[in-house]
Amino acid sequence: MPIAFEKVSHVYSTGTPYEFKALDGVDLAFTEGRMTAVIGRTGSGKSTLVQHLNALLLPSEGTVRVLDREITAGSTPKGLKKLRGDVGLIFQFPEYQLFEETVLKDVSFGPKNFGASEEDARKRAKQALRLCGLEEQYDERSPLELSGGQKRRAAIAGVLAMDPKVLVLDEPTAGLDPRGTEEMMKLFRTLNKKNNKTIIIVTHDMEQVFQYCDEVVVMADGKVAAHMSTDEFFADSSVCRGLGILPPAIIRTCDALREAGFDIPKEIRTSAALAKCVAQQVRRHG
Amino acid sequence: MGSFVLGKYIALDSPVHRLDPRAKIVAMLAMLIAIFIPAGWYGYAVLFAAVAGVILLSKLSFTFIWKSMKPMLFMMVFLFIMNCFVIRTGEVLVTVGKISIYSGAVMQTLYIIVRLLLMIMITTCLTATTKPLDMTLGIEDLLKPASRIGVPGHEIAMLISIALRFIPDLIEETTRIMKAQESRGVDMKEGKFSEKISAILSLIVPLFVSAFQRADDLANAMEARGYAPGEKRTRYKVLKMRVWDWLTVIGANALLAGTIVIARFL
Amino acid sequence: MAAVEVKNLTFSYDGRTNAVEDVTFSVEPGAYCTIVGRNGSGKSTVAKLIAGLLDRKSGEILIEGIPLQKSNLLELRSRIGIVFQNPDNQFIGSTVRDDIAFGLENHCVPQEEMDGIIERFASEVGMSRYLDSEPARLSGGQKQRVAIAGVLAMHPDILIFDEATSMLDPQGKDRIKQVIRDLHKDHALTILSITHDIEEVGMSDQVVLLDQGKLVISDTPEAVFSSEERIRRTGLDVPFSLKLVKELRRYGVKVDPVLQTDMLVEELCRLRLKK
Repeated sequence: MPIAFEKVSHVYSTGTPYEFKALDGVDLAFTEGRMTAVIGRTGSGKSTLVQHLNALLLPSEGTVRVLDREITAGSTPKGLKKLRGDVGLIFQFPEYQLFEETVLKDVSFGPKNFGASEEDARKRAKQALRLCGLEEQYDERSPLELSGGQKRRAAIAGVLAMDPKVLVLDEPTAGLDPRGTEEMMKLFRTLNKKNNKTIIIVTHDMEQVFQYCDEVVVMADGKVAAHMSTDEFFADSSVCRGLGILPPAIIRTCDALREAGFDIPKEIRTSAALAKCVAQQVRRHG
Repeated sequence: MGSFVLGKYIALDSPVHRLDPRAKIVAMLAMLIAIFIPAGWYGYAVLFAAVAGVILLSKLSFTFIWKSMKPMLFMMVFLFIMNCFVIRTGEVLVTVGKISIYSGAVMQTLYIIVRLLLMIMITTCLTATTKPLDMTLGIEDLLKPASRIGVPGHEIAMLISIALRFIPDLIEETTRIMKAQESRGVDMKEGKFSEKISAILSLIVPLFVSAFQRADDLANAMEARGYAPGEKRTRYKVLKMRVWDWLTVIGANALLAGTIVIARFL
Repeated sequence: MAAVEVKNLTFSYDGRTNAVEDVTFSVEPGAYCTIVGRNGSGKSTVAKLIAGLLDRKSGEILIEGIPLQKSNLLELRSRIGIVFQNPDNQFIGSTVRDDIAFGLENHCVPQEEMDGIIERFASEVGMSRYLDSEPARLSGGQKQRVAIAGVLAMHPDILIFDEATSMLDPQGKDRIKQVIRDLHKDHALTILSITHDIEEVGMSDQVVLLDQGKLVISDTPEAVFSSEERIRRTGLDVPFSLKLVKELRRYGVKVDPVLQTDMLVEELCRLRLKK
């Protein structure tokens, strides 16, 4: 089923001095079952783009097709609730959406809104919490007592508990420490691979894109500047640099070594492979 | 993105923007008092004309003014309905079922609505053309005489300026939390009463949590930069009344006097 | 005499568990010191204690040799500038100009001198063109530059950055990092930077590593990264060059553990087989 934009534009504050065209004729189809990164500078339209996926924003022009829904500019779509259950959207700093007295209650809030029974909602909440790495001991605690990283997990569980088919994440690791970030990204990769969820992730972190994502969508000035597989995207660092993006450390190191006269094949993706390749070209000891 | 415009400063360059905030505050107070003097429709016509003149001079668009009044529409309708039940003077205009609407009710409501509109227009003229910080300075200066009797003019001014500074941020935050909860299936518009309650809670609780966080950050930032309430400090902006400022004050007070005259003699 | 000296510092938010416990370290004048550790390890708390924004439970803090006390708080605080994480929540004025002026007003700088100072420091951080802009019209990175200007205008000797770049996009981050480096170089300021940015850590003179409120080590980056067990235990990220060095060793290539890629490339060039 499609997750596609057809000639979609979005204009904020139409008819005011602050009028601003955040999306400009976007044609884009996300691939189902894959993990796609949406990158681009601040103000390039990334957040506006992803908020169309669960109809929080409606197109000013064009058509958005998400799963079995079609939303065309000018129409006033009804019954968006089902779509919001199918497309779980997680905003930046999601810990700010926690509000119930206990973690479990908060995570059950979503499923209950979508008509799950109290018991069913609790069951799904517990599953989602365990999936996000929050053990049973936290279920009855107040969200306010959790640490920053745990709050983030609880908030993400709150969306996962709705069992969405598509998971959209807006900078989910902002403000987390390196290990927290790694754990979080691994969780999303598992959800994508094992639980078969389509994942769309807005990020600034090229290391994340490089390590975890299958495809890359580059936004610039409200338009799609590039859409390709991660391998293609990083195969030639000039693509990155041309877009004003600093490539991941390994790509930069490969570039620097090539410049220094080393022969580094383009397929190198891990530090182990790079080390092996370099080792063949230098004097070894012992 | 900011459809809520009440109290927002609009950066333009106009004669009204350039006025001394003290002059503007005093003029606004005079005008507000004038509104509450029952000077009849003539009085209101004069006030409307004056306010419209100020709006034109300030280069603010009328759509902007209209937008600031929009949040009050609901209240106006509510007032009208209430008045229809309560006021039974004048002639019966229409009868719907058992309820009759009297001309007194319509007139009374119109009076209130006109006053409300004028109030919003006048306050908007002030807030939209005066930078929050200038406003604070103005208030601080105007309260200076009162500090002798223990009114903490500076603290009040600082409080107001910070509140004003963070209103747009809080509105943005509200939109964000609303969207986040809508993504979790909250329906802010429809739903049963109990669902509405939880919808509102899901908005209010996070908003409070984040507001406290903000307040804490802000207090730290202010303290770190050497702010200590009650300590002596210098001031970057020094206000100076010029000819136009005095004329504004005189003009507004003349208007007030005029309304009183109309109320007494016409 | 150390710029900042922290002795047996202990602090608790709730009176029961210690957020900072028995932390001791000192930072030399003019040093670029990074403070690292996981979220909740007490980094920000230490910074706030040094800036006198929190009252310590026990221990001692010396700023340029003078013990920090309630009585000299305002005086010592003026020697320390601190830039916080959230760009919005530390922008106090309604324009860039007013925001920089805020600190000057608190320090009773005469009004006639303010414009000159404001313009000078705005230009120092590249914000001269935006003096009359409101915060809503500025990017996160620009707001952080204003915050730096506001702090610099008070002529501090010590600058603390509390994850000042963590909420910015890559462009904003790079710009702020550059500004900090320039300041460190040109003004001989002592820098204390709380950061997760591994490149910044690699380039610093000194690293203070905290874990669960306790000091793990305070030393050069090379020394801090020398123990793999420590890195694993404290969840510290490792510079890519170090990861590569480790892999290279597995293939029998012995290179010194260096923290910057260009140094590693240089080293490898020396070892390169002449063809």
